[in-house]
Amino acid sequence: MSTGLAGRSELDRLLASVLHRGTWLGGSVIALGLALPMAGWSGASSTMIGTRIVTAGIALLIVLPVLRVFLMLVVFVRERDFRFSAIAMLVLAIMLLGSVLGVVSSESPGVSSIANRR
Amino acid sequence: MVGAVHAGSVAWLLVVSIGTSALGGALGMASGIFIVPVLTLFGRLEIHAAVAASIVSVIACSCGSAAPFLRSGLTNIRVAIVLEVATTLGALTGVLLAGILSVSFLYFLFAAVLLVSASQMMARRHEVLGETEETNLRDWATLLRLHSSYPDHALGRDVFYRVRRVPLGLALMYGAGLISALLGIGSGVLKIPAMDTALRLPIKVSSATSNFMIGATAAASGVAYFARGDIDPVIAGPVALGSVLGAVLGARLLMAVSGDKLRLLFVVVLVALAAQMLLSALGIHLTGHTA
Repeated sequence: MSTGLAGRSELDRLLASVLHRGTWLGGSVIALGLALPMAGWSGASSTMIGTRIVTAGIALLIVLPVLRVFLMLVVFVRERDFRFSAIAMLVLAIMLLGSVLGVVSSESPGVSSIANRR
Repeated sequence: MVGAVHAGSVAWLLVVSIGTSALGGALGMASGIFIVPVLTLFGRLEIHAAVAASIVSVIACSCGSAAPFLRSGLTNIRVAIVLEVATTLGALTGVLLAGILSVSFLYFLFAAVLLVSASQMMARRHEVLGETEETNLRDWATLLRLHSSYPDHALGRDVFYRVRRVPLGLALMYGAGLISALLGIGSGVLKIPAMDTALRLPIKVSSATSNFMIGATAAASGVAYFARGDIDPVIAGPVALGSVLGAVLGARLLMAVSGDKLRLLFVVVLVALAAQMLLSALGIHLTGHTA
């Protein structure tokens, strides 16, 4: 209870605005990418560019919670709450391990042979 | 021709994900729990592709609806980050197991877990709220300063609550993270009962905190699936966008519904989902027959 309520709600507000803006940014980028092939000049290239933009929007959304944990880490460190800094760092490390795991398993054939059924 | 097909599937995916996400958000669940069945049963999509696409929508749902909960003081972010150690570890385990376990087995497992959760929720309804308040100053929740309060608009004052049994909560959260990564769901459906029965959080706090945690949990498997190249942008894009829009609607609905009504609605949805999971595990698809 020693850390003031004001400090805690300040972090709450920061996270709220980052998550809110980040989601709408990611969503807008995806919407842009989806709208591009429908915008008139249909062709393979506009569809391909559109898909690239959609992928970028998806990447933004996936990175958003990682950024959220990073921001919590920064605030905990600044508040000298080292126990919670360590906890946030651990969560961040596990998330980064996930991306390493994905890259490694994509390079080893057989583990993930995932194809869409048409 | 190609453009028309593209536009049609984008519109279909958008409408479906807006609807499921609004419903999911209103129940404090991510839409993935509805997205995967819809994509596999109606969209005839391969389950792994549906799971990977759904994970993105789960993240989008959680992040898109987090702000109102945070601003109204319902989300306990200290509890969230502690439990996220377990959920993200569970998610990584799920990514590793995804290619090994049979989908049929997972449906069975999940149906069982859903039914257990539903019965827990029912049992809690009849419990007397005022239980013996033993003050153990050496438990985890006290050491980590997890106890907090939230503003209750019905009572017009702040309600203080104590957090209990953190180790049990962590164990349950590991399982929730595992299921989240395997089935492409937020596992709010498992996180909320875990927080209700293990941590004994007030239902609005557990809904808000679960919703907050879902994003980080899904991101742990999301980065892995993305790096692996499992996420198809043509499916995941419209589904994620629809989920963002639906989540905003759903969060507004959750604020307006009372705790008791929410709990009852939750039980009904749990049982319905369990029945659907069992049917899928047995290979029976209701959409296959015109019954």
